[in-house]
Amino acid sequence: MAAVTPDQLHGHHHGPTGLMRWITTTNHKDIGTMYLVFALIMFFAGGVMALTIRAELFQPGLQVVQPEFFNQLTTMHGLVMVFGAIMPAFVGFANWQIPLMIGASDMAFARMNNWSFWLLPPAALLLVGSFLVPGGATAAGWTLYAPLSVQMGMGMDMAIFAVHIMGASSIMGAINIVVTILNMRAPGMTMMKMPLFVWTWLITAYLLIAVMPVLAGAVTMILTDRHFGTAFFNAAGGGDPVLFQHVFWFFGHPEVYIMILPAFGIVSQIIPTFARKPLFGYASMVYATASIAILSFVVWAHHMFTTGMPAATQLFFMYATMLIAVPTGVKVFNWVATMWKGSMTFETPMLFAVGFIFVFTMGGFTGLICAIAPIDIQVQDTYYVVAHFHYVLVAGSLFALFAGTYYWLPKWTGHMPSEKIGKWHFWCSIVFFNLAFFPMHFLGLAGMPRRIPDYGLQFADFNAIATIGAFGFGFSQLLFVLAIVKCARGGERAAARSWEAAEGLEWTVPSPAPHHTFEEAPLVR
Amino acid sequence: MADSRAGFLATMRAVLWSFVGIRKRKDYQDDARSLDPRAVVVAGLLGGLIFVLVLVAVVKWVVPT
Repeated sequence: MAAVTPDQLHGHHHGPTGLMRWITTTNHKDIGTMYLVFALIMFFAGGVMALTIRAELFQPGLQVVQPEFFNQLTTMHGLVMVFGAIMPAFVGFANWQIPLMIGASDMAFARMNNWSFWLLPPAALLLVGSFLVPGGATAAGWTLYAPLSVQMGMGMDMAIFAVHIMGASSIMGAINIVVTILNMRAPGMTMMKMPLFVWTWLITAYLLIAVMPVLAGAVTMILTDRHFGTAFFNAAGGGDPVLFQHVFWFFGHPEVYIMILPAFGIVSQIIPTFARKPLFGYASMVYATASIAILSFVVWAHHMFTTGMPAATQLFFMYATMLIAVPTGVKVFNWVATMWKGSMTFETPMLFAVGFIFVFTMGGFTGLICAIAPIDIQVQDTYYVVAHFHYVLVAGSLFALFAGTYYWLPKWTGHMPSEKIGKWHFWCSIVFFNLAFFPMHFLGLAGMPRRIPDYGLQFADFNAIATIGAFGFGFSQLLFVLAIVKCARGGERAAARSWEAAEGLEWTVPSPAPHHTFEEAPLVR
Repeated sequence: MADSRAGFLATMRAVLWSFVGIRKRKDYQDDARSLDPRAVVVAGLLGGLIFVLVLVAVVKWVVPT
């Protein structure tokens, strides 16, 4: 998509043109666009893997892929979607929107910004290219559990290096976001006047800085176990494979919030606009985000109830996990209260935001069910868990990303997105999403394990339904690409304030946003 | 009163309310005027510690020895 129109490019952009413009750019809008395009490409790469998985699972027996390759697909689908699609997409939003929303001329460290983006393509090549090496890609699951991850072929090493590089990119991106928000706000924009998207990203950035080094440490220990004679996770050498799970999930649980807090921020921008009311309980939203972030550090072992731990430890993690539902519930109530008695209209961004609340809340509730240790021991590693986290990550993070894209596309391209295509995209997505993932709850409760290419006949019907839903959902995403391309190429001209009741500094600059904005800081009342 | 800094108890009270995620508008406005951000971070870490200790105490109480 075009970040700026050519006339503005000639007016304000003085750097190299063509490919070199994108390689050397330090402009937050260009870099934001590159992040978003990268994330979209990875989303389709991960999507093709998902559909291959679902094609295999359409019927019992082995029809499409061999079990070894199936395991590679489930692993790589997870890694690609988490590290290649969702996280870079949110960083893309941060790059585009945070400077515009706080009245800054650019990100604080513009060159580091360029570097943090350009680390991603090599990491993606390592990850996706690992399918082609002897032994294929890593098949240890996206969690890279030892001892499997200690035993795999060189595809595992490529995944480890990819995670290292993407982690470095994330840390640099996070530092940039923290410094930008703390130091570059326009005069008068106190912390408690910041848009909620900025707040959620500030807290997310701290989470990233805190936990990405933990992940880097975990995969480095795997690397040294594999090649340098250490035995961190090898029981024969005095190590313990369960240690990996503890270290991984100390990263992994805050990671869940890294992928959902910016989504909360996007939804909190959109709902007030289309309800034509200020966000209900702004301060409580900020407080709730902060407390979710703090609590996310003391719940990690709820992913490991079946690894064996004392009852007291199980209870601690169970209680702590269930208590996270309190601030999360506060957010859901605040969004509903914002809509209450509002003059609501349902343009595409609002449809996705309301859809987000509905479907994400279902994912939240199944999370609460999984948090109860005795239930989790029954459903752990079944399709119930697969259903739960797809409700949170697809209907949560991804729907918020769709909502945000439709909401800010006018600012990025200067044209209004097609409502017709957008609405088709929404309705197809929400129907097919539920068709794909709701039956997985039943499959899980009936005992179907995850990460298997074949299954008993009793699971056949729900798997067939899930596969039909998954293909419908996958192909619906072509509508998303169509909406973006159509919007970038033309359409109804967008005003500076593209949506009637939109509030915030980003709506004070023209649409599309010129290459350079806020060279003189605006004054915030 | 614009310069008056909140005391330890007022800071802790604000942080503990934040664990529930709600705050009365008037109290929030008082907070926004008087809280010191550095004190809030310290109180937040302290609040996290209190949260963990309370949970440990509840668990010890629930699990028979």
